[in-house]
Amino acid sequence: MNMKIHSPEGELLEEAVQLSSTTPLLSGGKIGVLDNGKPNANLLLTKVAEVLAERIDATVSLVTGKGERANAATACNPQVVGMLAEEVQLVLTGSAD
Amino acid sequence: MANEPLFLNLDDEDPESIYQLFESRGWGDGLPLIAPTMERVDEALSHVQASPEEVLTVLPPRGGSATYRDVAVNSVLAGCKPEYFPVVVTAVKALGEQKINLRGVNTTTHPVAPLLVIHGRAVEEIGFNAGLGTFGPGNRANATVGRAIRLILLHIAGAIPGPGDASTQGQPSKYTYCIAENQEESPWESYPESLGVDSGSALTVHCGENPHNFHDMESKNIERILDKAASSMTTFGVNNACISGGEWFVILCPEHAATAFNQGWGRKDVSEYLFEKARMPAGEFRKQFELLAWADWMKSLSDREMVPMTQDVENIKVIVSGGAGKHSCVVPSWGMTRSVTLPIEI
Repeated sequence: MNMKIHSPEGELLEEAVQLSSTTPLLSGGKIGVLDNGKPNANLLLTKVAEVLAERIDATVSLVTGKGERANAATACNPQVVGMLAEEVQLVLTGSAD
Repeated sequence: MANEPLFLNLDDEDPESIYQLFESRGWGDGLPLIAPTMERVDEALSHVQASPEEVLTVLPPRGGSATYRDVAVNSVLAGCKPEYFPVVVTAVKALGEQKINLRGVNTTTHPVAPLLVIHGRAVEEIGFNAGLGTFGPGNRANATVGRAIRLILLHIAGAIPGPGDASTQGQPSKYTYCIAENQEESPWESYPESLGVDSGSALTVHCGENPHNFHDMESKNIERILDKAASSMTTFGVNNACISGGEWFVILCPEHAATAFNQGWGRKDVSEYLFEKARMPAGEFRKQFELLAWADWMKSLSDREMVPMTQDVENIKVIVSGGAGKHSCVVPSWGMTRSVTLPIEI
């Protein structure tokens, strides 16, 4: 006998996050690194940023952590987000804990 | 408000059919499921005074809205009796509190799972096992309420191993993790009362590791027993070793608790003893970790000074649970989460 059951998922109330449009031209631009707090993340991300900067003639102008009392499992301090938005055109970071 | 409920069609009532349907969609916890028919879901919903479409909270990382109906659907799937539903609802409310840090709990590489502890009248009225074998197996309420929470985290929160849960190895308590406070055999006031939560029934959520057992069959003084607890706590392997804000739940069996009480100890005395006893030299921590998320006062200690396994004695919580026999346990937290205790409305 055919039967109906409920879906278990629940709806998404938050709109899906869309990626921002790609920066058209980074040549001569500034790259930032946001250390997500995991061991050696800053080393890896800074190295990648340096390689990228060299390839496109940009500069790595800001390397920062998430801010005071933040760690790998917590959100970035809003002041740090604001500082990055103001100073650089591209940010490299890690998204995982 | 959410839209109308979404239904799925099942070809027949064979349990294998729902198993296969859920497997094909990447749902479920790998165990057999009870079909969430309209009748079963409505029966669960009849145990709360709320609109089925009311959103309890939004659960990360997926950002799924947990309506009463969605929570009821997962309770049915887990095998909960309808009368368990208010307990599941309370647990979801607790998980929605900011200090739980559910995004971190669900997505971390650490094997953390929410431990539910049921307190008060609900234990007897609903039929939770607070005694022998409280962590399981064998009791439907403990097993299915804990499982309902995991299914809610999988389906609504999207904490699916891989895309939504990065836990390196997982842990068995990610299937179900629910115990009850044994108030009948506890020498002390209930845990919620000790926090000032005044309610006939309550629930605590503590996001932690699997239990770390300690036993002491022979000691007649509580210090010697708690030295074993301190031994279980003083390990570099837990997140709480490098994150000083972490909590420790010390689940004492009734016989160990009685030994403490007979010496005139309250639960605060137990916490204070462990705060002083569960320590290691600061220099040893510094040898083990480059990154120590410590309180400022701990950072200033010299290498030879002894560091407690948490920065504040209040982070050591004591609950009585289990039955006869002299085994107790500690449950270290994930580190960046705080426990929540809420009243249950039944």
